[in-house]
Amino acid sequence: MAGGQVFSGLRIIDFSWWVAGPHATRILADFGAEVIKIETKTPHVYRMNGPWRKHGIALANQSQVDSPNLSGTFNNQNRNKLGMALDVKDPRGMAHLRSLIALSDVVIENFSSRVMESWGLGYDQLRALNPAIIYVSLAGMGHWGRDRDIQTMGPIVQALSGLTWMSGFPDLPPAGWGYSYMDHLGGYAAATAIVSALYYREQTGQGQWVDISQTEVGNTLLGAEVLEYTVTGNTRTRNGNRLEHPAAAPHGAYRCAGDDRWIAISVFNDQEWQALCEAMGQPEWTRDPRFATPSGRVAHQDDLDRFLEGWTCSQEDYALMELLQGHGIAAGVVQNGVDRFLRDPQLKERGMFVTVEHPEMGTSPVEAVPIRLPEAPATYRRGAPLLGEHSAEVLSRVLGLTPEEIGMLAQDGVI
Amino acid sequence: MTSDTANLGPLVGLRVLELADEKGHYCGKLLADMGADVIKIEPPAGDAARRVGPFVHDAPHPDRSLFFWHYNTSKRGVTLNLETPEGRDLFRRLARGADMVLETLAPGYLPGLRLGYRELSAENPGLIMTSLTPFGQTGPYRDFVTSDLVSLAMGGPMASCGYDDIAGAPPIRGEGHQAYQTGSHYAFVGALVALYWRDLTGQGQYIDASIHEACSCTTEGAFPSWVYSGRVVIRQTGRHASMDPSQPWQFLCKDGRYVNLIGGVPRDQRQWQALLRWMDSKGMAEDLMDEKYQEVFRRRTLGRQDPLSHHVNEVLTRFFGNLPAEEVYHGAQACFMPMGIVRSPEETLDDPHFAEDRAFFSQLEHEELGRAVTYPGRPYIFQKTPWQLRRRAPRLGEHNEEVYCGELGLSKERLTLLAECGVI
Repeated sequence: MAGGQVFSGLRIIDFSWWVAGPHATRILADFGAEVIKIETKTPHVYRMNGPWRKHGIALANQSQVDSPNLSGTFNNQNRNKLGMALDVKDPRGMAHLRSLIALSDVVIENFSSRVMESWGLGYDQLRALNPAIIYVSLAGMGHWGRDRDIQTMGPIVQALSGLTWMSGFPDLPPAGWGYSYMDHLGGYAAATAIVSALYYREQTGQGQWVDISQTEVGNTLLGAEVLEYTVTGNTRTRNGNRLEHPAAAPHGAYRCAGDDRWIAISVFNDQEWQALCEAMGQPEWTRDPRFATPSGRVAHQDDLDRFLEGWTCSQEDYALMELLQGHGIAAGVVQNGVDRFLRDPQLKERGMFVTVEHPEMGTSPVEAVPIRLPEAPATYRRGAPLLGEHSAEVLSRVLGLTPEEIGMLAQDGVI
Repeated sequence: MTSDTANLGPLVGLRVLELADEKGHYCGKLLADMGADVIKIEPPAGDAARRVGPFVHDAPHPDRSLFFWHYNTSKRGVTLNLETPEGRDLFRRLARGADMVLETLAPGYLPGLRLGYRELSAENPGLIMTSLTPFGQTGPYRDFVTSDLVSLAMGGPMASCGYDDIAGAPPIRGEGHQAYQTGSHYAFVGALVALYWRDLTGQGQYIDASIHEACSCTTEGAFPSWVYSGRVVIRQTGRHASMDPSQPWQFLCKDGRYVNLIGGVPRDQRQWQALLRWMDSKGMAEDLMDEKYQEVFRRRTLGRQDPLSHHVNEVLTRFFGNLPAEEVYHGAQACFMPMGIVRSPEETLDDPHFAEDRAFFSQLEHEELGRAVTYPGRPYIFQKTPWQLRRRAPRLGEHNEEVYCGELGLSKERLTLLAECGVI
């Protein structure tokens, strides 16, 4: 079976929007699961989000967007999946959805916490349809608790969980995370939960409900900080790019030549400090006795950072990274999207970006999955589904509906 | 496995050998808290994470690092010197009975000791070995070294985070070893996918996971913006990086605390009207009742260039600045707006939604403190096979006798000798 698809035959009903749920199911789809996105016939806003591309050409603004199938972010998150557009308010739409759930392995959603119940698809009802179903609910605050109705999106989760607070300079407002980090990490928590629940089901035949609060996931990602408080009473705040535990200096982002070019450098001990001094050519300032010990460097890191940046700021970032890495120092260019795509030989050689075919967007790059399993590799089989692309195909193949029945549903606007 | 063992976790019965430092100890914790028997194998001097503070009573000690405590719950711990022939032999014996090896050593190190996947799987074909390394096992950067900061820099997260209103401010990395935790999630998924595959085929495999790649696919719009639009997102204070400057989202409240409102102005009619009523009730709506602002939510995406939207954002800045943050948080939520208060990590302990209703936190007994300690909570609630802290982090070599004598059958005399010779 070498080279096979590990999750071949596994069916996931995916109600999720935006990033968190889709990123979880994207990983399973990459390893062969049949992920069926259930959408409304009116496209969700995430389908319409830029950047857009049509037949290989970038669209500059939303007024040129004449289809729900042109979003690059949507394509990146939803490649390898199938898509159904279904009116669940129509009794026939709901009946077919329930039949589909009965023939599936996993149901995942990241609605606000009352939607599934209001549709009659809470866990008890799902279990009645399919006793072995694995149900993953993924909401900002979770499905129970007094604040279950608090509306969240990635940045709100980051604010509530402590992540925003822990990013930035101590004497300035939080810089926060410049994107929905917790949608990704909430998705990763969901992916770990799904594979764990699947493994348990393989052993016992039993499914279960897994409830995930993204805010709780975010708080666990600052677990060491929480434990410090509960044991010592100390509270932590953001510290720029510096590192308190273990105390390390220099430890920061330093300006390089060019517009907004930066290199991150971390020095943890005397050996690395000596290597850095050698890489710099032993300038006079490095012999300052204040910088002779780790504690001295930490105590005087304002000056240290200034001197170091005085050296880095005239240098080309990638050449500097090669020089410092050649001396065994942890140093890396602060890479943006274009840097990673065009200037990173590591990502290129390892195939981190792959292309998929998309009927409306054309051949389109997407991110690969960052784990290599030689016996059961991930595959990139298709772009994101067009809105409703597989409604008829799934009804026919999985539920055995006739062309006439499907035609009727289409005519009545159910699909 | 039967349902009687359900409360032992979904991964009960799995034996994992962990040769992981700070880069992968979170993966080991995720496995152990879900029921796997994770044996952390450390050099006799201890894992480097034991020397990372903060420490109990501020006194550095290998058994008192809170950093180590957090990331090594539910594991057992043994010491072993792989640089000695006897140490390698013991490791091979342990690997014969293991389901998985998780390791974060430099690429080539274990194969150089003849402890690579080829050698270990020859004696245990079902073995799954997961290597989580900074850049992976191949490629021009494979021997580069990293830190969490450097991984967040090269992988892309950092380029999207920072300040647009502070001249010359550098990109900023969010704290808490997020690159390593991101990589650890993928290592976990890879190991479980391989386990599932082994159940189907009987065959183990070797998994090459890269922290750099894990970070590189954890940057939301940064990658698609470039490949689909040919544009780079710019970092902006306290909000999403985007291709064009957006309205500020982060507001300073009267009590000195911050709140975040996604988009910086309401998104739709319902939010707008509820907000206006709320502001008016406080006498702080200013001129927002004016006709020309009533459709402003439709102009939200125009960003800072739009004078109407900008004005609403400024009035909101004054309004929120006149109220305490908790009132703003709940008041705006009552207006259906995605609003959050910026909390420090430990403030979750005081939020009854998490602490009481969802019983988010856990307790573990620490005999050296003579008390139970509250630990950060679980990432998920498994209704049938709960996540659980099964034991506190192991003391250095705490389970040497249990594992080497109890499981491998060494005599206590032999164990003492191995300790004296620096093997364990």
